Amino acid sequence: MSCTRRDLLIGTGAIIFTTGITSVSSRTLAAVMSDGKKRYGMVFDSSACIGCTKCTEACRETNNVPEGVSRLEITRSGPIGEHPDVKYRFDRTSCQHCDNAPCVHVCPTGAAYKDQATGIVDVEADKCVGCGYCLVACPYQVRFFHPETGSADKCNFCRDTNLKAGKLPACVLSCPTNALVFGDLNDPDSEINKVIANNTVYRNKVELGTQPKLYKIADGKGEIKR
Amino acid sequence: MNTFIEAFSGEAVVWDWIIAVYLFLAGMSAGMVMIAIYLKRKVIEGRAADNGIIKATAILAPFGIVVGLTILVFHLTKPLAFWKIMIYVNTTSIMSMGVILFNVYMAVLFVWLAVLFKDELLNILNKFVGDKLNFIGLIIDKIKPLENMLEVILAVLAVTLAAYTGFLLSALKTFPLLNNPVLPVLFVFSSLSSGAAASLMFGVLVFKQSMHCPSVKWVHGFERPVVMFELFLLLCFFSGLILGGGQKEAAAMAAIGAGFWAGWFWIGVVGLGMLLPLILNFVTSEQTRHTSSFLFMVTGLSLLGVLMLRTFILYAGQMTVV
Repeated sequence: MSCTRRDLLIGTGAIIFTTGITSVSSRTLAAVMSDGKKRYGMVFDSSACIGCTKCTEACRETNNVPEGVSRLEITRSGPIGEHPDVKYRFDRTSCQHCDNAPCVHVCPTGAAYKDQATGIVDVEADKCVGCGYCLVACPYQVRFFHPETGSADKCNFCRDTNLKAGKLPACVLSCPTNALVFGDLNDPDSEINKVIANNTVYRNKVELGTQPKLYKIADGKGEIKR
Repeated sequence: MNTFIEAFSGEAVVWDWIIAVYLFLAGMSAGMVMIAIYLKRKVIEGRAADNGIIKATAILAPFGIVVGLTILVFHLTKPLAFWKIMIYVNTTSIMSMGVILFNVYMAVLFVWLAVLFKDELLNILNKFVGDKLNFIGLIIDKIKPLENMLEVILAVLAVTLAAYTGFLLSALKTFPLLNNPVLPVLFVFSSLSSGAAASLMFGVLVFKQSMHCPSVKWVHGFERPVVMFELFLLLCFFSGLILGGGQKEAAAMAAIGAGFWAGWFWIGVVGLGMLLPLILNFVTSEQTRHTSSFLFMVTGLSLLGVLMLRTFILYAGQMTVV
């Protein structure tokens, strides 16, 4: 046998070295952050939304969002169709909790981060210096400066409020028509995965490679505006 | 005047005109350093520190970077927390890498200037502090043999810094006009153009370098091809967007097709900043070109054009979302 102990050590060292490097670089260079135990996502059903904006108010109250800014907007477009069959279309604008989040990549301090345990994109307010890079980097334009703290702010699926207390996000709880479904995309048996499997869903701006986790069900009329 | 105020008070703009001033100052600093290093190595005969352009660089290059960074700090929503941007590093963030680049650039720039202006520096120190700080002279003597290496490193840092101001914006997927690979190249050349203009304006008019000396002649000769190439880059920039279709085309047309920013671009950036200086240099006699007032006007127009370009890119860029 020509394989001496020394050769073996060098060999294993080389394997550990190269595989170690690969695992590190695949995490930082490929910049895809889909690992983690849970991957929380949401479905917004436009066909069920009646535009009452209860969700916006509930969010404001639960997360102490000051007037003048909002983590969640319901926008109305239309009317579509002719009288008497007139319909308005409602859409939700809020953080899409991208698996590959531009805000996280550009943040110079790491204040914008993705929670590995839940897949939720959140802000560590104390680390944020308020440069505004994440505000401009977000293709969905949902980030804003909190008027009181000066930190970047946005929807975090109520991670530090309702979710922490074991409840569903405030918007989901407040919706009178059950237009919002929240759950773990990693769990094949979750309600959200069933809703996604049984409906035609779409996500905004997927072509940018952001891998958003906010799914939408169209209202069944006209063209989908992505 | 109303459209002017409206154009600048758009609530949608996160990064406003003050960031354009910062981009301009950082770019000018880098451009002047690139030119000064080339002049010192290839053009100037005798002691470089006696040359007006080098003196202008010694004042304006640190001024640009220090004032630029001060502007940035006060543009944060939490200026007092600026130190956090220095201690936390995010390797995927162009801004985080830029902070490191800025620090290294500033350090190397100050060391290089200290080596160049050793005698002047010691004179000033002697005058105000006495001979307690004479050890600085000894330290400079220790660094002196590394001057050549220092210069090469500083030149590379200056090019990187000029490009960085472009990469900072081209990283933004949100805005098709900014998310453009030509932008860093365009900014390198616009910073060379502002560096050349500032070198001439301050080197000749403030530090009294003769207009007939080789260094001034070289910068003069350098200006024209740089501006022409800048025009070509602008052509690449916008034709690339328009031919790309979709939101790219929409962004380009919204920027240069019609409206306030289109006027700003065609009249200010292209007309006043690039074409007018080219034409003035072309049609006037050599005698006119060598008057102080002419030099002041032409270099002033170039500097104004570069500042207007940076402002235009920033505002028009944030107008159209992908």
